[in-house]
Amino acid sequence: MSARLIRRRSARPVRRMSARRLRPLAAVALAGALMATAACGGGEGDESGSGKTTLVVKTFAQFGYEDLYKEYEAAHPGIEIKEENIAQFGDYLPKLQQWMASGSGAGDIVALEEGVISKFIDKPDQFVNLLDHGAGDMEGEFLDWKWKQALSADGKHLIGLGTDVGAQGMCYRTDLFKKAGLPTDREEVGKLWPTWDDFLATGEKFTKAKTGAAFFDSAGMVYQNILMQQGDHTYYDTDNKLVIDSNPAVKSAWDQTVEMIDAGLSGEITAWSPQWNAGFKKGTFATIPCPSWMLGTIEKQAGPENAGKWDVAKVPGNGAVRGGSFLAVPKQSKHQKEAAELAKFLTDAKGQTSAFKAKSNFPSALKAIDDPAVQSFTNPYFNNAPVGKIFGESVKGLKPVYLGPENTPINDRVGQALIAVEQGKLKPDEAWDKAVDDAKSVAR
Amino acid sequence: MRRSQPLVYATLLLAIAFSAFPLYWLFVVATRSNDVVGDWPPPLLPGGNFGDNLGRLFDADEANFLTGMVNSAIASVTVTVAVVFFSTLAGFAFAKLKFRGRGALLFVILATMMIPVQMGIIPLYMIMVELGWQNRLEAVIVPFLVSAFGVFLMRQYAERAVPDELIEAARVDGASTFRIYWTVVLPALRPGAAVLGLFTFMGTWNEFLWPLAVLEADNPTVQFSLSQLSTTYYTDYTLMFTGALVAIVPLTFVFIAFGKQIIGGIMEGAVKA
Amino acid sequence: MALHLTKSRPPTADLHPEPAPPRGRLLSRIDTRWSPYLFIAPFFVIFAVFGIYPLVYTAWVSMHDWEIAGKGEFVGLANYTALFADADFWNALVNTLGMLVLATVPQLVIALALAALLNQSLRGATFLRMGVLIPIVTSVAAVGIVFSQIYDRDVGMANGLIGLFGIEPIDWRADKWSSWIAISSMVNWRWTGYNAIIYLAAMQSIPRELYEAARIDGAGWLRQFRSITVPMIRPAVIFTLIVSTIAGMQLFTEPLMFGQGAYAISGGSLRQFQTVAMYMFEKAFRDFDYGYGSAVAWMIFLVIMLLTAVNFLITRKRG
Repeated sequence: MSARLIRRRSARPVRRMSARRLRPLAAVALAGALMATAACGGGEGDESGSGKTTLVVKTFAQFGYEDLYKEYEAAHPGIEIKEENIAQFGDYLPKLQQWMASGSGAGDIVALEEGVISKFIDKPDQFVNLLDHGAGDMEGEFLDWKWKQALSADGKHLIGLGTDVGAQGMCYRTDLFKKAGLPTDREEVGKLWPTWDDFLATGEKFTKAKTGAAFFDSAGMVYQNILMQQGDHTYYDTDNKLVIDSNPAVKSAWDQTVEMIDAGLSGEITAWSPQWNAGFKKGTFATIPCPSWMLGTIEKQAGPENAGKWDVAKVPGNGAVRGGSFLAVPKQSKHQKEAAELAKFLTDAKGQTSAFKAKSNFPSALKAIDDPAVQSFTNPYFNNAPVGKIFGESVKGLKPVYLGPENTPINDRVGQALIAVEQGKLKPDEAWDKAVDDAKSVAR
Repeated sequence: MRRSQPLVYATLLLAIAFSAFPLYWLFVVATRSNDVVGDWPPPLLPGGNFGDNLGRLFDADEANFLTGMVNSAIASVTVTVAVVFFSTLAGFAFAKLKFRGRGALLFVILATMMIPVQMGIIPLYMIMVELGWQNRLEAVIVPFLVSAFGVFLMRQYAERAVPDELIEAARVDGASTFRIYWTVVLPALRPGAAVLGLFTFMGTWNEFLWPLAVLEADNPTVQFSLSQLSTTYYTDYTLMFTGALVAIVPLTFVFIAFGKQIIGGIMEGAVKA
Repeated sequence: MALHLTKSRPPTADLHPEPAPPRGRLLSRIDTRWSPYLFIAPFFVIFAVFGIYPLVYTAWVSMHDWEIAGKGEFVGLANYTALFADADFWNALVNTLGMLVLATVPQLVIALALAALLNQSLRGATFLRMGVLIPIVTSVAAVGIVFSQIYDRDVGMANGLIGLFGIEPIDWRADKWSSWIAISSMVNWRWTGYNAIIYLAAMQSIPRELYEAARIDGAGWLRQFRSITVPMIRPAVIFTLIVSTIAGMQLFTEPLMFGQGAYAISGGSLRQFQTVAMYMFEKAFRDFDYGYGSAVAWMIFLVIMLLTAVNFLITRKRG
């Protein structure tokens, strides 16, 4: 050790370096310059060079507005529209929280999913009251309950205008149904299950035939569907009181779902997992309650080789919806008036019809639902199923449902309790008690 | 040194096989069509769809994959150079120089590593709003020019790697502290600094949560682009895997460059022994 | 010279045996006195701008009832008292500590062994050394999908493998023990090579003369490893121990990817594998309870501080 040190010391490295002295200085200067330029950057206004007003629209997933933007810009030469999209809803939620907390970044129009908008109904201050911008005239155009979802309790503050609704059908595999000796024609299949009890009975018949496939993917989807058909309210009453343990509608949806798990109908495949995605192609499950926007998912996951194997029938019970969104104008916007006009344009019947054609987002405006373009819409991948008609009936048959402030987190927890039942980790009664306890602590 | 035995090679090769398997699987899926995930038994040989997938990757408008790659390259290079420079400098000071408050200041640096990263997002975003750095590349660079991890690593490394005698000798020769750093300390720290550089580059390249918070899809980093490839309702695994594979290509070059430094250090020691 | 080498004395110019010219001496004094501060200044300047504010701000938020719809009342320490009674929080803390042990211990032991093997003159050394580092280039998303395939209940490779030994398939996500093992294996996979390289870099700075002397004394390989290698790379070991503890307490990505579906942040149907970082994220960004989430963040911070202090005390005592 010492030999090496002495050798190096005698070489006097310090003397040799004078020629390289400038390099450290250069490095420091570079770092300093970098920070300085970085610090000077920024501060761009939102007015573009052309003197136009730029409206920023924040969306997640796909809203299908590209054509509408072009049309609007053509009709309003002073306006430029920029959509900032986040593909995954899970990635969008933290950003939304961040925009609201910091008071910046939400753009001029922001898309809010129904579970999210219910968080704002009691404290609507962060959003422009669209009633002040003439949106009141549009009231009759929307499904009544959709309109009310974005309206404050006193009816004076309208946060958002409805875009789509997740109109429900029941997707099924014709080849698996055939194998199980069940009818395959969508009219006849629909007649198999006027109610969820009939759906259960069909499932038992299917399971007995031992096709190797489960009857449906996972209990959570079925539960959601049953719950949303119970009408009026679910976990909260309309005074925002938590009624999960006293509302018979919730318990009966739960019990019906548990009955189906007990009957072995569930494939116990977590929704949105890779195996779930693969299941559409491989036919690991025979049915799945499918909102309108899910048809695109099924088509892409199942692939062209399975064209015509999936079909759409009516959902058991009286119509159903799951999900759906709104457009709102945040108070942070510097162009509230222009933004409100654009939001109205995008959500009116004509706008909704266009979005439906682009991305299958089923309209929430009555005129759009009745529009022949929607009504006569068929989907070739699903044996030319008249999806416009099926979904339209489903939406109109539905009673309005009030969600309440913590609907999404509570719903998440009930869903997890059902998975615990599927996994055999909890008995149904234990799982129910846990779901209720969790709901109470969330609503704290 | 013990003689190298076949067992040593066997153990190391097994470790590498474990390490490399997911990467190989990435390659397999990237060369196939979008239906192999969930197949049993899983396919273990590549298919012939790579060109096709590559085309789809760069055609995907919503992902802005090319912009993402360029942005990530700029950010990763800048952050890596700065972190290595500032960390070796501070690590040297903490390991070898005595000054008042040294212990306390080192603890402060350590403590900053303990702040849960996910929580800083909102207040950090507020600072970016003040600076006007929303959706600008500075936002993913400037806050990361220094690293507590780096300072700590270099401090620990310098403790043993830089002999006190060398510093003393240089000082006797009248060298300033910075000259000592540049001519004595930095060369001695080279292998450790290469490790830090490698980790920093990889870390910045693979960072996801903060770029997602402060940037928008039209000016993304590469991981942001990758996330945009799958939508809420539909996941195209092949496309994601192809993107992940392409995103690794620049890393491989960096890997080799820094790796040489690390290996170089070893060789130097071996020659002297 | 001997004077300068005493560890307890700062190597200042004052102790220089030959007096330097006055001007040079003054500069030299300024240099030795202030250079250390200058060298660590960049860190503190940037941290002051981008680090302290978030920390203080989070503390302030944690004392409010703060939902996405806006800041509510000041509630003092109510969020913290609620936290102490929150079974989900304690569950997450136990999970985190459990996975911390399962991941850190094997990871560091294997890394040390790998580094020792790699620190020899091997044929194809470059290839071998790079090989163990491969996991760090793999993107997070890809890792998630690959491992969800490996640990799938119905068609996973892990179940296929244990099936060869006649063991029944395991639903990896359903139980604590199985999910902890699966997630720990992901963590170990990703970070073992990383630690091995840190050890390797430290091992290179050990003078070969020490080994030569030991060999002359007749010490075997294991003896050399224990009495030269390990003590000489002690700072690196302490570093990896502390960093692994901190990273383990902030474990987030791997369990999130292991969990499936839209509500993966809950870490399993009964929160079998939810970590404290996931719980914080769920509270702040999914339930939109930002105040409560901030309180969780501060608790994580405090627990890590405590663990690091314990780490320090133990390693200091041993040294």
